[in-house]
Amino acid sequence: MKREHQETGAGGGGGYHVATAGDMTGAKGKMTAGPSMGTEDDDCGVDELLAALGYKVRSSEMADVAQKLEQLEVAMASTAAAASDDASVLPQIASDTVHYDPSDLATWLDSMLSELNAPPPPLPPPPPVAASVHHHHHRFDVSTASAVSEPPAITTVAPLRPSDAYDFKPVPAPAIASGGRVVYGLDPQSEMIVSPRDQKRKRTCSPSSSSSRGAEAGRARGSRTEGASSAKPAAAVPVVVVDTQETGIRLVHALMACAEAVQQENLKAADALVKHISVLAASQDGPMRKVAGYFAAAIARRIYRRRPLSQVDRALDSPALDDLLHGHFYESCPYLKFAHFTANQAILEAFSSCRRVHVIDFGMRQGLQWPALLQALALRPEGPPSLRLTGIGPPQSDHSDALQQVGWKLAMLAKSIGVDFRYRGFVASSLADLESRMLLERDGNEGDRDDEGEEEAVAVNSVMELHRLLARTGALEKVLRMVLAVRPRIVTVVEEEANHNGGTFLDRFTEALHYYSSMFDSLEGSGGQAAEAGEEEQQQHRAMAEAYLGRQICNVVACEGAERTERHETLGQWRGRMARAGFEPAHLGSNAFKQASMLLALYAGGDGFRVEETDGCLTLGWHTRPLIATSAWRVSAAATR
Amino acid sequence: MAGSNEVNANECRMVVPLNTWVLISNFKLAYNMLRRPDGTFDRHLAEFLDRKVPANAAPVNGVVSFDILIDRTNNLLARIYRPAPPNPSPATTPLADLHRPPSPDPFPVIIFFHGGSFAHSSPNTAIYDSLCRRFVSLSGAVVISVDYRRSPEYRYPCAYDDGWAALKWASTEPWLHGGKDAKLRVFLCGDSSGGNIAHHVAVRAAESGIEVSGNILLNPMFGGNHRTESEKRLDGKYFVTIQDRDWYWKAYLPEGADRDHPACNPFGPNGVNLEELPFTKSLVIVAGLDLVQDWQLAYADGLKTAGKDVKLVYREQATIGFYLLPNTDHFYEVMEEIKNFVTSNL
Repeated sequence: MKREHQETGAGGGGGYHVATAGDMTGAKGKMTAGPSMGTEDDDCGVDELLAALGYKVRSSEMADVAQKLEQLEVAMASTAAAASDDASVLPQIASDTVHYDPSDLATWLDSMLSELNAPPPPLPPPPPVAASVHHHHHRFDVSTASAVSEPPAITTVAPLRPSDAYDFKPVPAPAIASGGRVVYGLDPQSEMIVSPRDQKRKRTCSPSSSSSRGAEAGRARGSRTEGASSAKPAAAVPVVVVDTQETGIRLVHALMACAEAVQQENLKAADALVKHISVLAASQDGPMRKVAGYFAAAIARRIYRRRPLSQVDRALDSPALDDLLHGHFYESCPYLKFAHFTANQAILEAFSSCRRVHVIDFGMRQGLQWPALLQALALRPEGPPSLRLTGIGPPQSDHSDALQQVGWKLAMLAKSIGVDFRYRGFVASSLADLESRMLLERDGNEGDRDDEGEEEAVAVNSVMELHRLLARTGALEKVLRMVLAVRPRIVTVVEEEANHNGGTFLDRFTEALHYYSSMFDSLEGSGGQAAEAGEEEQQQHRAMAEAYLGRQICNVVACEGAERTERHETLGQWRGRMARAGFEPAHLGSNAFKQASMLLALYAGGDGFRVEETDGCLTLGWHTRPLIATSAWRVSAAATR
Repeated sequence: MAGSNEVNANECRMVVPLNTWVLISNFKLAYNMLRRPDGTFDRHLAEFLDRKVPANAAPVNGVVSFDILIDRTNNLLARIYRPAPPNPSPATTPLADLHRPPSPDPFPVIIFFHGGSFAHSSPNTAIYDSLCRRFVSLSGAVVISVDYRRSPEYRYPCAYDDGWAALKWASTEPWLHGGKDAKLRVFLCGDSSGGNIAHHVAVRAAESGIEVSGNILLNPMFGGNHRTESEKRLDGKYFVTIQDRDWYWKAYLPEGADRDHPACNPFGPNGVNLEELPFTKSLVIVAGLDLVQDWQLAYADGLKTAGKDVKLVYREQATIGFYLLPNTDHFYEVMEEIKNFVTSNL
């Protein structure tokens, strides 16, 4: 019986533990040129073959990881044996473990081993259902108002829209609607993609702890270039074709040709193409027609260089209108709900067992994120903390005090559910105008809340705000320094998952076209079973949501310089920026993933929405295209003094 | 339960490279966590743990991919892989070019059904994305990796229905009809459960008059009530146990059915007679350390007995999943077999 004797090649993950005398014949075993078969090197990188498949295992740790796998198998078998005869099936309790970053096998195995070897701690009770809180909104006691610092006017305000329905209780089993189907899409900066342009090889390392070096190396395989370096991957271009109609394809083609003409400053051709696009779009149906319309309008605007900030523009640029459209966007599709939910999960976890907490929201708007957090805090097993909320918003053109209004409503809610709550609003045209001391500074009425000087735990929350800062050099860096200075326990960042800020105009245009096509397509599919609105109201939400997105498209395509604020970047890019600014990732785990997925099943309706985990972050996308990404960050050890 | 874990581990470690062992063992243990004794499946955890890659319209090693919604009404997605169009720049392939034939000459269209015992994985799972790219490089094929509905949420015959829908879709796409005769040269291919699906879709094709150029079955998943010698001998020894096989069949087959159901055991007591059907020719690859090999060999025999063309490739020392990492002779030699099969049946 011939024993095939194999060995990995180029920087691969090591040979055998046991050297077997094998059949060495076979011309195919010719050793190819490639990595030096030199000395072992502890410092070598990850196994390239496994990396290509999504697993980061350092070659020097391969044997270690193998050992852990064996140990885990034994641990699982004995745990299972305790419960049943079937060693291939693990009892429920082990799968209730929270998992983090499954790409990092060594760490994942360690955490599994400690879960199984230690007696399992009592599981924390699942956050109970928040009772329909909107019934509680009708009283507002001015005298005990733990509200804003200004002297309160007595107003009755309408209860805030449902996040009461938006509780944290994991929905029982049947909500796995998208069950057997795919969950797609993820980080376009995947490490696995190797661009032929990036052929430079990483320093290769010899297989580790290999006693089978030398003679046996004759059968080296896999040293061909597909094992090649995982260094510097180019960004992937994930395309989802939902419309294979001939007209749809021609429309996209025309749009691209038009953008190319604009880039080449052939405005005459571009103009002709814009007209052609309008004709083609008219014959289209559904989302593609709308998307094409917005892109064509945006290109036209760019071609004719309509002077920015005309009267009409100014009116259309009002934050009030923006908030209105934003609110409809919130209702019409699950992206913002997902953003709020996942960010709140991270904040909750970071605040666990803290008695005094402070949330700084970089984009307060209508405060839609916070009722759910308030409720979750109210229902903590250890009781609610006292919560301070700082909301930041732009100046309002009509001098109304939207920021304070929101604060009032939240104060009422907090009161009704028994959460000690203080609110402060800051008006700022740009986050870069803020100073950390402003945010940390407290107002007068502190007195009786001093828990023996217990420090306040701070969370900084930014939902689709950071990318605007990229329009001004240095603004992001300044803001991130400020964030560091408030010493947050957690920083939650949600951003559009796209690169609308790099490369040439044509690159940006192409990216945006793919992105917004998926977005618009998902709006059609949206409108979950639990949506409270009727058909007509849903359609209104959708129309407004499309207008909301249309404004983004216009900004991405028609604007430049400081005016172009929709400078979306990808998770990979944000990771780089956060790391450079002194933050390290705080991984979102399988529990957040699971709850987000379940929530989606309830609220998203369309089967096309997908939650994905990628390197500790969560994304929500339409079919295989991730569209929004939530990440969480801590101040890195290096950055702390 | 078969043997002591320590003995098994040592034997197993001796026949595969270490990183292969790590990869497949990791799958094994993770999958153990997902199957529940009551027959339900922890789908959320499965998706969380699964390592996925996006499609990429920018060429990587000469291959581009994009996802496509084949059937909007039931969200049937597929990932399509194809040779990058010859124009080296711009880096992104304009959408229209993605839908052109890769060549004026005849080219293969490989409809691929990923494995996972009917319950695991997706077209965008990294291991399968990688494999499909490999197929393109081998043969200049357009590969269509089908996102079929999985068990236990969706049982027989959903996976077959989805496979059939994909084949019908391919048969209506003009750009997939190559050569001067504008003909669809389609191969049905799959590993593990995907191989099983390929077989059953091929039967439907034969019944319906759609011509299939060939079937490629990599470690196909078949079974039956009887416990074969290979199952008993290899139980638990090389990553796979009889018990987990049983679980997956139970999760896929209709409630109350046993493993002699024709989906599981196509040449068993309830099987369909293929003799009269224009069933295509097959390449069946069997790993000698796969515990279900007796069923796979019986399948090949069944085809022969029915007068169908079958080439059997038996890799004595190969385990399951040998085709996932390009680090053994098994890998390269089997890829060569696949390439030859495809090119000679165009």
